[in-house]
Amino acid sequence: MPNKQLLFLLLSLFLFTACTPQLLVDKPSAGVLPVADSAQLPDVIKSLISQSDKQYLNNDFAGALATLERAVRINPRYAEVWSRMAQVYLKQGKLEQARQHAKRSNSVIKNNDSLRKFNNKIIRPGSSEASSVIQKEQMH
Amino acid sequence: MTKPKSKARKKPSIRKVVKKKVVKKPSGRLRFLFNRYSLLGLIAFVLFFSSYLFYLNIQITEKMSGRIWSLPSHVYARPLELYQGKHITVKQLISELKQTEFIRVQNRPIKPGQFRVLNESHFEIISRNFTYWDGEQKSQGIRLSIYDNKISILHELYSDKTLPIFRMEPVKFAGIYPSTKEERQLIKLDEVPDDLVLALLAVEDRRFYEHWGVDPRSIVRAMLANLMAGGTVQGGSTLTQQLVKNLFLSPERTLSRKINEALMAILLEISYDKSVILETYINEVYLGQNGAQQIHGFELASQYYFANSLRKLRRDQMALLVGLVKGPSWYEPRKHPERAKARRDQVLKLMHERGALSQAQLNKYKSLELGLAKKPRFSANRFPALVDLVKRQLKRDYNEDDLKSSGLKIFTSIDPFIQSQAEASVKRVISRLEKSYNQAENLQTSLIVASSQQGEIQAMVSDRKPSFPGFNRSLDAVRQIGSLIKPAIYLTALQQPQRYTLASQLDDSPLRIKTSKDKLWSPQNYDKKFSGDILLFEALNKSRNVPTVRLGLDIGLPDISDTLHNLGVKREIPAYPSMTLGAFSLSPFDVANMYQTFAASGFNVPLKVIREVLNKDGQPLKRYPLESEKTIDEKSIYLVNHVLHQVTQTGTAKSLANLFPQSLAGKTGTTDDLRDSWFAGFSDNQLAVAWIGRDDNASMGLTGSSGALRLWSDLFSHIKVDSLEMIPPTGVNNVWIDAESGGLSNKNCLGAVELPFIQGSEPTEKAECKSVGIIDQIKRFFK
Repeated sequence: MPNKQLLFLLLSLFLFTACTPQLLVDKPSAGVLPVADSAQLPDVIKSLISQSDKQYLNNDFAGALATLERAVRINPRYAEVWSRMAQVYLKQGKLEQARQHAKRSNSVIKNNDSLRKFNNKIIRPGSSEASSVIQKEQMH
Repeated sequence: MTKPKSKARKKPSIRKVVKKKVVKKPSGRLRFLFNRYSLLGLIAFVLFFSSYLFYLNIQITEKMSGRIWSLPSHVYARPLELYQGKHITVKQLISELKQTEFIRVQNRPIKPGQFRVLNESHFEIISRNFTYWDGEQKSQGIRLSIYDNKISILHELYSDKTLPIFRMEPVKFAGIYPSTKEERQLIKLDEVPDDLVLALLAVEDRRFYEHWGVDPRSIVRAMLANLMAGGTVQGGSTLTQQLVKNLFLSPERTLSRKINEALMAILLEISYDKSVILETYINEVYLGQNGAQQIHGFELASQYYFANSLRKLRRDQMALLVGLVKGPSWYEPRKHPERAKARRDQVLKLMHERGALSQAQLNKYKSLELGLAKKPRFSANRFPALVDLVKRQLKRDYNEDDLKSSGLKIFTSIDPFIQSQAEASVKRVISRLEKSYNQAENLQTSLIVASSQQGEIQAMVSDRKPSFPGFNRSLDAVRQIGSLIKPAIYLTALQQPQRYTLASQLDDSPLRIKTSKDKLWSPQNYDKKFSGDILLFEALNKSRNVPTVRLGLDIGLPDISDTLHNLGVKREIPAYPSMTLGAFSLSPFDVANMYQTFAASGFNVPLKVIREVLNKDGQPLKRYPLESEKTIDEKSIYLVNHVLHQVTQTGTAKSLANLFPQSLAGKTGTTDDLRDSWFAGFSDNQLAVAWIGRDDNASMGLTGSSGALRLWSDLFSHIKVDSLEMIPPTGVNNVWIDAESGGLSNKNCLGAVELPFIQGSEPTEKAECKSVGIIDQIKRFFK
C-alpha cells in the first residue's frame, strides 16, 4: 500500500509538472501562468515575452502589457502573445479584456490545441479559472 | 566791534521777534498745510505708484508664467524597432536617424547621437539616453547590417553579442501648447549653443549679468553715440527691456511707454532669475516673417533660415541670426543678402573681440556665404492633420488640468516613413489625375493609413498640399460613401447562413421602390444594365447596385445599421432604402474604423494615434492600451473578406492584381454624378482609406477605380505590404460550386469556382458538370 501511495504521489507530481507551462524567465510563477511554445517564436518575440514576464512577476502589469503590445506590432500573428495579454488582464481582474484577448489569440492559432484549451478556459462564461483569479485579487 | 554785532545777531530785538512772529504765523500755517497736503500727496502718490507697480507686476507674472511654464508638449512618432529580419532600407534608416538629429560621422562614432555608415550597408550607431513610457533606455552602441532590405545582423557596438531587439529614439515632429493650441519651437537655455549666447550678449547687452533691468551706463553711452552721430545709431535698451517691449508693450515711442518699460524691466529682474529672462528672450525675439506667420525665437528662426536646428548651426550662421535682432526686415537675408552679410560680419567681429573667435576663424567665417536653406523647415507644421488628431484625442481624453500641465511627452503610432510616402503619393496622383481627366479640377483628398490588426494610425493626409494646416478632411469631410456600404450589407446577410450563402441567387432585374414621399425610386447599376440572376458573391465582387438594394431590403435596414455599428461606425445611420447604396455620409476616418474590423477578421479596434503620455518629469501619465473587441462572427466576416479579396483579382479593383503579387482585399466606392471617389483596402499589415472629391461637392469625373484606387495603389507600391493571410476559421469549408447556378460542382467542371461556406450551409443540389477543356485546365493550373 505505501508503495502504491508513493507511486501515486510521484505520478501526480510528474503530471502536475508536465502540465505546468513555463515562463521564459527562471522565476517562480505568480497566479495564472503564461503559455508559450517558445521553440517556434523568433528571438525578438521571445525577448519581448521574457521582458514582459519579468514585469509580470514584479507586478508591473501595465508594463507587461506595453511590452506585449510591442510584440504584437512586430507580428500580430503569434497566438502566444495575445494569450499572454489575456492572462495579464486576468491577473488585473479585467475579465472582459482578458476574454477578448483570448479570443484574439484563438483567431490566429495554428496547431496548438493546448493553447486553445487554455484560452477557452478564460473565454468560457463563468470559467472557474478566470473566477478564481478574480476572487484571489479581490481577497488581496 | 565785532562782539556787539555778534550779540545783536544772537539776540534779536523784541520788535524783530514780534515782527518775525507776526510774519511767521501765516507761513507756519502754510507750511503746516503744505506739509499736510504734501504728506497726503506723497501718501497718495506712494499708494498710486505702489498700486501701479502692483498692477504691472501682475501683468508680468501672468504673461511670464504663460511663457515660462507652458512648456510645449512634444509629440513623438513611433520608435523604430530594430531586430533581425526587420524590413528596412538603408535610405530609410539614414532618414530616420537624421530626423532624430543624429549626426553622421566618418570615423567610428564616439558620442551619443552619432552614427556611421560603411559600404552603404553597415551601420554603427550610438543612441542617446531616452525616457520611454516603460523607463529610461540608456545610451548604447549598436551595429547592424542591412542586406536585401532586411536587418541581417544586430550586435552591440563593441562586442559580438547579438541584440534581439533595439528601440531607436523616436522622431519628434511637433510641439503643442495644450492650453493655447499654438505650435512653437522652444529651446531650453542649456540647449542653446554658448556661442550664440556670447554673440547675443556681445551685440545686444554686454552688461546683462550686471544690471537690474535698466543700465544707466548703456543709456549714457548710447546718448553720447547718438549725439555724436546726429541721429539714432545705438540703443541703450537692455535685453530685459527688449523682452518687456516685446511681451507687454506697443511699439510706439513715447515717454510714458519708456517709463513703463523701465519699471517693468526692473520688476522683471526682481521677480525672475537672469537665466529665465534670457531663455524667454531667446524664445520670444522677433526674427522675421514667413507670409502671415511671424518668426519668433532663435530655434524657429534657425529652422526658417537654415532648415536646421540651432544646435547644429555653424558660428557664422548663429552670428547672422543674432545680427537679425536689430532689424529682421532690413537685414532679411533672402531679400537683402549683401546687407545681411555685412551685419553678420559685424557680429563675427564682435565675437572675435570677445575672444570667441581667433583671427583665422574670423577670416574663415567672413569668407563664407550665408548658407541659407532654399526651403524653410518647420517641424511644427510637418504633419498638420496628424497633429490635429493628436490634439483632439488629448482634448477628448484629458481633463482641463491635465491639458494645462506642461511639457507632456506624447508618444504616438505615427510612422514618419509611411507619412512621407503618403504625402508623396497624394502629390503625385492628384497632379496626374488632374492632367488626365478634363473634369478633374480642384481635387481634394484624404488618405489614412493604419496598422490593420492594431488599429494604430500610421499616416494621415488631409489636403492635396499635405503640409497645409487647414480643413482636416480625414476627420471632418463627411461625404456619401457609395458602394463602401456594400460589404456591411452582405455581411449582415451572411450572418444568417440558413438564408444566405455566397452562392445564393440574387435578382438583378429592374426594381421600383415606393419611398415614403410617395415617389418611386428605381435604382440603377453603374453600367445601366441588368444581369438577371446573379450569385451573391458575384454581386458584391462586381458591385451591382440593384441586387444589393433587394438584399438590403430583404434583411432589413435596422439589421444593416446594427452591423455598421458593430463594425465601428459611431454615427447615426439613416433608415431609408437608398442607404443600401451608401446614400449617407461618413468621414474617411469613420470608413477606416469600419474597414479595420474587416481587416482584423471581426475584431473591432477603435483607431487611435496616441500610445502613451508622460508628464514633464518623464513619469507615466496615461497609456492607451490596445483595445480589441470581437463584434462580428469570424466565419461570416471571413466569407466577405474572401469576396473583398476577389474584388482585387477580378472585380472593380482588379487592376491591383497586375500591380501586386501580394494578396489584398478592398472595395471601391463611387457616389452619384461622380462626386466622391473612394477606396478602402487592406493587406495583412496595412489598412488604408483613400478619398478624392471636391470641396464644393461638384462632380469631378472619377469613379472609385479611376481615382481613389490609384492613390491607394500608388501608396501601397511604396510601403511594405504583407500578403493577406486567408486561413478559413474552424467551421468554414471550401466547396466547388457552379458560378452560374450556385449548385455543387467540382474543380474539373467548366465555370466552377471554389467558395467558402459556413459548415452546414453548403449547397446540396448538384449542378450539371461540363468538363473543362485541356487549355482551360492548363490555364487553371497556372492561375
